[in-house]
Amino acid sequence: MTLHCLRLNGLADTGKIRVTIKVLSHPRYLALVRTVTVTVAEISGMPKSVREHVKLAVDEACANVIRHAYRGDSGKNIGIRYEVSEKGFEVVIDDEGLKAAPEKIKGRDLSKVKPGGLGTHFIRRAFDIVKFDARKKKGNRLHLVRQRKDGKWK
Amino acid sequence: MEINIREYKGGKVIEVLGEIDLYSSPLLRNQLMFFVKKKESLLIVDFGGVSYIDSSGIATFVEGLKGVMSFGGKMKMFGLRPAIMEIFSFSKLDKVFDIYGTIEDACNS
Repeated sequence: MTLHCLRLNGLADTGKIRVTIKVLSHPRYLALVRTVTVTVAEISGMPKSVREHVKLAVDEACANVIRHAYRGDSGKNIGIRYEVSEKGFEVVIDDEGLKAAPEKIKGRDLSKVKPGGLGTHFIRRAFDIVKFDARKKKGNRLHLVRQRKDGKWK
Repeated sequence: MEINIREYKGGKVIEVLGEIDLYSSPLLRNQLMFFVKKKESLLIVDFGGVSYIDSSGIATFVEGLKGVMSFGGKMKMFGLRPAIMEIFSFSKLDKVFDIYGTIEDACNS
């Protein structure tokens, strides 16, 4: 079992939900990440179509950590924190791998048919804010935010 | 993910069951490339049992399609669930792959 920590604090009074998991950087744990992502999204009241986009986007972000930050090393850690509030659905993904170069990350031209380059499109479709935390010194911290307005998911 | 192979009207039907992601797509790639190497002229992918696909799965099919096209073969797909079809449409690959509702439609086209 590689799920090191699962903490669910449903703060009913404030409407906030916080969940933190840590998994090894092995692709077999992506299914677990998807399950937790979609469950937290469901608790937040997100409609199914949006949940599916968010699930795919978080999966893609974690797959990028495995492939690029850890270069396929399956023995490293990936931390994923979910926070749901009135403002929206935030996911923070932490790794201790190679630094990403955000300015070089862009999806492929969708009019060109070739393998790869779709993950970035899926992530940007699901989240309004996609931002690496430049303050993190070792590894990467990716912030993903799906906003909601007047309590409703956009 | 599980893969089952059967014959249908001269083609190889690749039935995929479950989730296609970074973990499972190498197995799918091996299967597709096995048929590409054998120059199978018609590959028919049964998507009816696919509940999820990510970019690595899509990339695997793009690679497979390019492989079969290199010797004049064909790859057809059928039975995609709406959520899976939506991913192909968003990726603008619904116009690239031959996608059908049923295996009969795929074989009769």
